[in-house]
Amino acid sequence: MKEPTLRGYTMVWAGLIAIVAVEAALTYAHLSTGTLLACLLALAFLEAAIGLLYFMHLRYERSILFWSIVPIMVFVFLFMDHIWPDALRLLHMRPPAP
Amino acid sequence: MSQAEMVMGGGHGAVAEASPYGIPSRKLAMWLFIMADAATFGAILFAYGYVRLASPNWVRPFELGSIVNGLVMTVILLTSSLTMLGAVRAATEGKMAASQRWLGATMLLGLAFAGLHLREWFKMFGEGWSLSQNPTGGSTLFGGTFFSITGLHLLHVVSGVVALAVVALLFKRGRLHAAHVETAGLYWHFVDLVWMFVFPLVYLMNAR
Repeated sequence: MKEPTLRGYTMVWAGLIAIVAVEAALTYAHLSTGTLLACLLALAFLEAAIGLLYFMHLRYERSILFWSIVPIMVFVFLFMDHIWPDALRLLHMRPPAP
Repeated sequence: MSQAEMVMGGGHGAVAEASPYGIPSRKLAMWLFIMADAATFGAILFAYGYVRLASPNWVRPFELGSIVNGLVMTVILLTSSLTMLGAVRAATEGKMAASQRWLGATMLLGLAFAGLHLREWFKMFGEGWSLSQNPTGGSTLFGGTFFSITGLHLLHVVSGVVALAVVALLFKRGRLHAAHVETAGLYWHFVDLVWMFVFPLVYLMNAR
């Protein structure tokens, strides 16, 4: 697969800037905290995917490199998600602020 | 680099199997380091989320000025990734002078990012923020998490600038090759990628 030219990378860069602009706009769109978090995380993962595939050339390497890196990292981050019930438990255990 | 060059890259007639990944060992090592560092940043961001969720008196202190500063920093870092790509492309094509210019631009942008970041930090110090102090009276964990996360990222940026300077110098002297520039570029793109999570989670989620 042929790698993009610098012009092509500039277009990828412009796309990433646009995503950042969307994130900033969402911040001031009076969304609920949960909704804002979900939107920002989704956009952050999109940016990360674009960065990994194009800037870090993962799209142009052998697929075994992608499959050796990405699934295990997804697994690690999914396992880190086990902490959230404990955070909520801690929140509900706290006495009210004076 | 050809398959034969990769196999014989150990030199001295060493016989080794070709990498199934089809990349030099230095590049694979950088990917492994990136995976480990990603887990580190992931853990620290999860810890931030944990303490934030568990804190009923969490504050959101960032005014518009801080968010705009953060946006400028984000654009600077993304642009530095683009200039890094220019450096790698020029190095691969054997254009030494162009590669040096692109690397210089990347380092300058990295320093600009660090400068803006430190300016934000010192502004917050002046307002009474620290690792364990919150001038608004809210959770002191904000300072602990904010300065830890952004401090760790800033350390990576500064280290990256130093590494790029070393790579640029040794590449110019012919002691390193285009593949080394590419490997350094991987690290730089990773630092940018981490900021794509730090900025929205730490700055935008704490916008007033």
